Amino acid sequence: MDWDAYERDALRDFDTARDASGVSEVHVRYLGRRAALPLALREVRDRETGQLLNSLRERLEQGEHAASARVAREHVAQQIGSGGLDVTLPGTPFPRGRLHLVTQVRREIEDIFLGMGYEVWDGDEVSDVYHNFDALTTEPGHPSRSQSDTFYLDGDTVLRTHTSPDQIRAMESREPPIYIVCPGRCYRRDTPDATHSPTFLQIECLAVDRGITLADLQGTVLAFSRALFGPEREVRMRTSFFPFTEPSVEFDVTCFLCGGEGCTVCKHSGWIEMGGAGWVDPDVFRNVGYDPDVWAGFAFGFGIERIAMLRHGIPDLRMFWENDLRVLGQF
Amino acid sequence: MKVPVSWLREYVDFDWPVEELARRLVVTSCEVDRVVRRGVPDSDGNLEHYVVGRVLDAHKHPNADKLTLCRVDVGAGEPKQIVCGATNVATGQTVAVVLPGAVMPEGFTIEKRKLRGELSEGMILSERELELGQDHTGIMVLAEGLEPGTPLADVLPLGDDVLEIETGFNRPDLTSVYGIAREVSVLTGASLAAQPGTTSNSLLQGNEELDLRVDDLERCPRYVGRLFRDVTLGPSPPWLKARLSAAGMRPISNVVDVTNYVMLALGNPLHAFDHDKLAGGRIVVRRALPGEELHTLDGQPRKLDPDDLVIADAERGIAIAGIMGGEETEVGPDTTNVLLEAANFEPLGILRSAERLHMRTEGSTRWEKGVDPELAPVAAAYATDLFLELTGARWVGEGDIRGEPLVRPVIEYRPPRASEVVGVELAEDRQRTTLEGLGFEVAADWTVTTPSWRVRDVRREIDVVEEVARFALDEVPRTLPERREAFGWLKRDQRLRRLIEDVLVGCGFHEAYTYSLQDWDPDPNAVELPVPLSALQRILRTTLVHGLVGAARHNVDAGNDDVALFEVAHVYLPTGEPLPEERWRVGGIVSGGYLRAKGAVESIFRTLHAEPRFEPAEHAWMRTPASARVQSGWVAQLDPELLEGEWGCFELDLAELFALVPERLLYDDVITYPPVLQDLAFLVDEGVPAGDLAKAVREIDPLVREAAVVEDYRGEGIPAGKKSVLLRVAFQSPERTLSNEDAAALRERIVADAAERFGASLR
Repeated sequence: MDWDAYERDALRDFDTARDASGVSEVHVRYLGRRAALPLALREVRDRETGQLLNSLRERLEQGEHAASARVAREHVAQQIGSGGLDVTLPGTPFPRGRLHLVTQVRREIEDIFLGMGYEVWDGDEVSDVYHNFDALTTEPGHPSRSQSDTFYLDGDTVLRTHTSPDQIRAMESREPPIYIVCPGRCYRRDTPDATHSPTFLQIECLAVDRGITLADLQGTVLAFSRALFGPEREVRMRTSFFPFTEPSVEFDVTCFLCGGEGCTVCKHSGWIEMGGAGWVDPDVFRNVGYDPDVWAGFAFGFGIERIAMLRHGIPDLRMFWENDLRVLGQF
Repeated sequence: MKVPVSWLREYVDFDWPVEELARRLVVTSCEVDRVVRRGVPDSDGNLEHYVVGRVLDAHKHPNADKLTLCRVDVGAGEPKQIVCGATNVATGQTVAVVLPGAVMPEGFTIEKRKLRGELSEGMILSERELELGQDHTGIMVLAEGLEPGTPLADVLPLGDDVLEIETGFNRPDLTSVYGIAREVSVLTGASLAAQPGTTSNSLLQGNEELDLRVDDLERCPRYVGRLFRDVTLGPSPPWLKARLSAAGMRPISNVVDVTNYVMLALGNPLHAFDHDKLAGGRIVVRRALPGEELHTLDGQPRKLDPDDLVIADAERGIAIAGIMGGEETEVGPDTTNVLLEAANFEPLGILRSAERLHMRTEGSTRWEKGVDPELAPVAAAYATDLFLELTGARWVGEGDIRGEPLVRPVIEYRPPRASEVVGVELAEDRQRTTLEGLGFEVAADWTVTTPSWRVRDVRREIDVVEEVARFALDEVPRTLPERREAFGWLKRDQRLRRLIEDVLVGCGFHEAYTYSLQDWDPDPNAVELPVPLSALQRILRTTLVHGLVGAARHNVDAGNDDVALFEVAHVYLPTGEPLPEERWRVGGIVSGGYLRAKGAVESIFRTLHAEPRFEPAEHAWMRTPASARVQSGWVAQLDPELLEGEWGCFELDLAELFALVPERLLYDDVITYPPVLQDLAFLVDEGVPAGDLAKAVREIDPLVREAAVVEDYRGEGIPAGKKSVLLRVAFQSPERTLSNEDAAALRERIVADAAERFGASLR
């Protein structure tokens, strides 16, 4: 057998094959089960011939590989045609949904706190009056207890008005230290409008440890605000009143839209109200059996939708509950 | 509350700019919504254009019946000609004049111009034009003797800055100008004037007995009554009107205005009765009688409850205590004898009554917060001073009834405690200055006694800490807790919840948020709100799908295509106990019918490495042609009655679903030895579920690694009542390459089993 001629013919045939079936014909002719080379390889008895034929086969396979790639390229070029590919045509679509914006923001907040060493605590939304008000040392005459502010199921059962009952349940269930965030739905008898909804989402942070101070609260709020709104943010605390913290403060963050210069969003004050906070009232600790001389803590909470609205320019809170794909799909 | 700054300065003479004061008060004391400039703008010499004038003569305008042509002496230069539209203008009057170039309170500029052909070089002003009161029936006539040309600002309060303040539930003392002044004094270091009323020098000119009785000393722990005779009812002087107007109250008459003024100054609401209209001249403070009614000042009839506290005379109720006076004993133009009520009412009772009656008044909002019980006699004294000054009255009698004396909390205070809480060093002398400035008595051993106006709020050491802390908030450093033990992590169910949300998003679903409170629920025992906000939100849902159908309908109506929505949220299952059982669910709705919804459910199961088993099951609340039970929930074709078109929906209980998730996944060697693949087409009765057949095949032997339904075919070539189910089966061992004989043996067992259990034959 003239293996040199065999190789020459085979490579020439691969080179001139016009398409994939041509390549495959050439393959059958020179590398197929009944072709001379494979038959000879099966018959081979001495090492020298074996090496020779094996290296010939490798060369032919390379030739085939090159030929296959060439005809495949030619095939694509032919399909595209002379005008070239319009790379701006739409690609083949894959289905794609979105997480609700409120979930995206909630997860982002959870992740910031997870990074600071907090657990996420999921609590129930229907609460007894004890966990929603009494244990949080809310006075009997406090307006939040009234039927006109709160949904009562019966005299002793309410739809929670804030995520704070979770503070109590967390503390009842374990010993300090506690670092948790509690996100979830809350309910108040507010008539729906652009900034109010009878159902809303709050997230609350509770830290209980030794030696916790208002400075720790402010530092935590600052770290959180910078993570969420950018590294240039500043925060401040203002005096306030909540039944379950003492001292109580409101915290504000410098407006992330105008940078503190003043705009309509911050009502030209340069500050945006974020939420309520404070040092956990010693009586709250007593109610859950913690010794207030040993343990100290801070808590703060705020509305998730409000943050989403501010950050993304959503004009009306009710949009979050309409679930219109034209809105959901934007985020 | 609106606090005119001029009024505030009467009590505390601070020298900070008002804006700066507002900025700092926000941190230490209360919300300041804004600072508003009221009255005449005080910029660029604007006030110079406002002067006292004297009307030299007044004639009818030659071209207009209702206008008067006046010559007015305004001091410097020639008298000015001014056209005036008021009917009460007359020669000789001393009046308030504004000259050309002035900017008026409402913002427009006065110009020299012709009115009906006659030049007018300014304007003669009414009260309302200066925002001193409501009266616009005529021009304001000033006291005689004022020199023309005198700056009007020397005579009248022309303008003021007003702080608009919101006060917290815990700070009744801040519902008064004096209370704000006390905070400003501590904040700025400016000294605080004596509380008005504490320096009263009014003398009792008579000793008439007052017939006062308090039946409920718990609800009314203090009642001071003072009787005034020879009262001349009339309008209040401009300064008083101006302050009330600036504070947002309408001036009415000198008597009523004084009660309102003292309320705003001190925080203790007062009431004035026409003494002659009190039956028997008597005052009784008692609970309302069953079925009792009275007409309040606003003309409304009010049905009372025995829990309501009323002020009564010898015959009937005449006021709802602390909330609103009655029509019949109201002070009017003919009143000459006034009984002043300076009382103290217990807050919770007032709160209950105000809620029950849907009445919120300037009075009730103060009482609700708990007014200082020691304030009533002070307020009575201050009001007396003003009555004598402004109404020409004589004070002829007094009665004072009081319940248990107020107990002021005495607190053992440790000054280092403040530094521990705040996280910044607060020096002892600074703490003492702050506390004393706020009215606390601080003994040498740091025993602290709360002032009477803070007894509800400051009872414990931590409350004292807050008083100190709020004046140091802008010095607090920023640190993070020095944690030593706790760490953060997402628990298994939280991770899995995020996972299925992400899977559904990957499948093309958008996440929806629908209300927990719905208008309808399939469970007749679902928890209902006794007093819902609206019929649309009245039941705590036991399923997510009802809300999702609504969301899908909204999208259809909006013309959106390819609607696929899911929600992860609580449902509230009735338990018979007050608290429902709350469970996390995932629900979904997708256009395209049963199989689309099932595909989504299969994706969830596949992601979680759990194997779904679907069984036909009638749906609990949808009349639907296709529905199935699956572990932890269900899938169904949506009942077309609920939403037009083909829709699929599903709902899974997350706790049950997550129980199916393997705790640990172990490596399965599918690499080392290749599988043997076979396609098996079975002929079975139409009723045989393909999934059951595949499952049976999988369970024949561990070597059957997979058996998937590839095709479910009926029609040509298949006998009626039968169908062909094509299964793709993979045989594979992690230990060896399976031989053809192995495969043949397995296949034989499968065919035999399928024939026995499903009547299946190989095609």
